[in-house]
This record gives sequence, C-alpha cells and structure tokens, in this order.
Amino acid sequence: MKKDSSMSEITDMKITADDHNPLVLRGECVVTRSEIYHQAMEQADRYTREHISRVMVCSDDPVKLLSTIKGCVTAGIDLWVAHTSLSSSVRTEIATHHGIELMIGDEEKRIESDQTIDRANPVGRIHTMTSGTSGKPKIAEHSLSSLLSRIMPTKMTRSHHGGMWLLTYQATGFAGLQVILTATLSGGQIVVPEQRTPIGFYKAATAHSVTQISGTPTFWRAFLMVVEPETLKLRQVTLGGEVVDQGTLDRLREAFPSARITHIYASTEAGVVFTVHDGQEGFPISFLQEDVPGVKLRVRDGRLQVKSPSAMRAYATIKRQPFTEDGWLDTQDRCEVRGERGFILGREDAVINVAGSKVYPLEIERFLLQLPSIREARAYGVPNPIAGMIVGADVVLDPQIVPAPTKRDIITTCQQNLASYQVPRLLTVVDSIDIQASGKKG
Amino acid sequence: MSENEIFLEIQKILNEIAETKGVALPTLEADSDLLGGQFPIDSLDLASLVTDLEQLTKNDPFRAGFVNFRTAGELARLYAK
Repeated sequence: MKKDSSMSEITDMKITADDHNPLVLRGECVVTRSEIYHQAMEQADRYTREHISRVMVCSDDPVKLLSTIKGCVTAGIDLWVAHTSLSSSVRTEIATHHGIELMIGDEEKRIESDQTIDRANPVGRIHTMTSGTSGKPKIAEHSLSSLLSRIMPTKMTRSHHGGMWLLTYQATGFAGLQVILTATLSGGQIVVPEQRTPIGFYKAATAHSVTQISGTPTFWRAFLMVVEPETLKLRQVTLGGEVVDQGTLDRLREAFPSARITHIYASTEAGVVFTVHDGQEGFPISFLQEDVPGVKLRVRDGRLQVKSPSAMRAYATIKRQPFTEDGWLDTQDRCEVRGERGFILGREDAVINVAGSKVYPLEIERFLLQLPSIREARAYGVPNPIAGMIVGADVVLDPQIVPAPTKRDIITTCQQNLASYQVPRLLTVVDSIDIQASGKKG
Repeated sequence: MSENEIFLEIQKILNEIAETKGVALPTLEADSDLLGGQFPIDSLDLASLVTDLEQLTKNDPFRAGFVNFRTAGELARLYAK
C-alpha cells in the first residue's frame, strides 16, 4: 500500500490541476503548479495523438522542463534532457542517433521518424547528459523514480518543506534537475535568476527571500564575495558537483550560522550517493559499512564504487559501461580513508604526474583554500622538460587581507606543508577563475 | 634578454629557493654544475627554475624536445635570444 501511494506521488510530481500556488518565479514572472499541469497534459495528449514515443527537451526554463517531464511520464514515453550549451550539430546528432521525434527548445521541431530505429516499449525513461566539455556528452539512462529516489516526499525533512529554492545550477544538468524536482516535490518554489552572475544570484535571492540554495563550492566561494550574509535567511546551504574543502565549509558556517550545511556526493551516472551534514569535509567511514540508507559504498583499487537505487541503468550509447563484474558502479573517483573519514581525491584522469609522483589537483586546491588570504584556487598540470609535469595554480586573493601575500609567500607556505612534488611551482594571481555552465571551475 | 642578464636571474631564483630552505647559496659560477650536489636544489627545483625562466624570457628552448645542459652558464645560453 505504502509503495503504491509513493509511486503515484512520484508520477503526480505534486503538480495538479487545482493547485494554484506559484512554482517557478523569474523576476516579476510567476508560473503556478496548475499552469504547468495544463501544459503537461496538453503535451501528453499530443504525444498520444501523434504517436510520439521519444522527445528531447533543450531548455534552461524550469517551466518547460517540468511540463515536459510530467508530460512524458504521463504519456509513458522516453525523454532526453539536453544542455542548451551543446552545439546544435551535436544535439541533432544525438537526436538522430536515438530516433527522437520531437525536439522542444525555444521552438518545437518535429523530426521525421527513422523507421529503422526500434522504439518498442517506451517506458518513461529519462536520459540526462554529462556536461560534455571534452566532446560529446555521455548519456545516462534513468527513470523518474531513480531520479527521485533520494527526494521522495516521505523522506523530506521539515527544513525543505515550502522552501524557496534558488536555481544556481544549469537547469538541464543532473544537479539542476535535482533542485527543480526537490523544490517541486517538497511543496517549494523555484527562483530563477535573471542574470547568472554572483550579483544576479544575490539579487534574485534577496528579491524572493530565498531559503534554500544549492550550488557548487565554486559557486559558493564567488557568492560569498558579493553577499551580505545577514540579508539572507537561509535554512539550507547545499554544496554539490565538486568536492568541498574545509575552508569553504568553515566560511559558510560563519556566514550562515543558523542554516543546515550539507554537502552531496552525486553524479550524472551514480545519482545522489550520500549527503553529509556535520560541516566536515570528506565523509564518515561508517558510510563504507552500509550506513547510508539503500546505498552501498566500497573502495576498490583506490576508487569509490557504489550500488544505489538512484544510479543510472546504463550509458545509453557507449558500449563500455562503468560497472564492475559484480554489478557495482565505478565512479572513477579516487577515494582515500584517513582516520575516521573518507576523502574524495578527484577523478582518476585528472591526476598530474610530477616526476613520477601522482598529484590530485583537488588536494592542492583544498590546501590553498585553507589559507586565509585565498578566496578561490585552481590547480592544473603544466608541461615541464625536467619533471614531465609540474603543478600550476591560479589563485584569487581576498582583497580584505592587507598586505596581500606575495607569490613567494604562498609558495613558501606550500613548501612548508606539502610534499615537494605537490608544491605549485607556477603560481599566478588572477582576478577571477572561469566558471563553466555547470557551475564547476573551468 | 642577454645571457648575462639571464645568468643573474638564475642566481636570483636559486637564492630564493635556498632562502626558502633556510640555507645559504654558494657562489654561482657559469660553470657551476646545477645538480652536482654543491647547490641545495633538487630536480623539482630545477623544473621550477626552468618554468620561471620560460615565463621571464617568453622563450621555450625545450619546445622541440629536451636539450642537454649541466651548468648555470649553459642554461642561461639556452634562454638567451
């Protein structure tokens, strides 16, 4: 009985005909749940009438995303969610490959069906894409219930109920969809900034009295540079998409003393794996002993592997799947246990090989961000004729710290605290560090 | 930059490295063997010296592959234009 009612709540998505409460706010524009319901039903009717079984939506507008998701779930057909940042040729290639029949973006475009593609048994799958910065995005196949498995209404904590959520993520990414769906299912509202800049986010947050903000650590560090924290009444501060360092967690705690501070480990492939609420970086090693509800974690060959109801079923097109023979999803993230805590060191392919020693850029960024004079940091490999690679780092200094440390001061501090091969040998002081559409560092 | 100017830069950078390590740098001569043991630098310090010189001179003598050098003078010559 319980399972049936929660399943119907999932497909219902708390978007109903008679609920006239606002759901999406952008500047002066307000869209109610009822309006989204009617858009969704019109779409579902059309899919059935025109025998459409595969739809791609490419829009940063949560109204369009929610109505399309609900329309597809209602009609029981398959959906692909594409980033607006993808080039139209890549989008068209994906659409052709998967036999998409309708593309929904700024305009709708009906695509001639390719009869050779087997579209049998559409089952309401939802495909999300990685950011695809290095070429074509990978496409992960989910169901609505796997996307929602960690945000079931019954599991909603009181602090989320009726929250005003600021959308800081790219709406079409895994994290953006999580925020949109969480706000929707917990009876909240989604606040869309008119400008996706730190000051634009701040204006939207104050104009709509935002109570929950979820963003990347990079987003938060930039946000902290422009906000007056006491003007925001935050109940929930959430960090995801990148590994968070202690320095950033401490700064957030100081800025928002009464908010719950949570960091999430999640990915397009693995879904939401775990959340940490104790304000400390890393995660308790009890998580490796099956302490996370419904999720199993283990470290094999130094990499974090997961079994989770929110994991994707498979990559939609790539033959090589990231699953082990015994059915665990390999996150490709290096993970190390130190004392009572597990730490994510970063993607295996991000490693910098300095004279044969492995350096994880995240470790260096984590160290730099702990220094009081540094507000943002990015570490990377620089080709070097002697060492193969050396570590380079760009840093943004805190303008309030006077006198500003010199490059030599920072390098000396690194030399005193890091292994010789980890020390950034090339340090550049910059005004800002580029942020990608995904909210992560460029 | 001339060979001599670059040599002085090498001396300056090596002095900074030695200072960070809290040791004194012996007098640097053009024929001083950089990794010969008399200077308090290891291969990573040398890697960082090479990067500093590249930044300073905007010249990368190793672009086409590794070029052998042993002494401070030889290194200065590589970066001189």
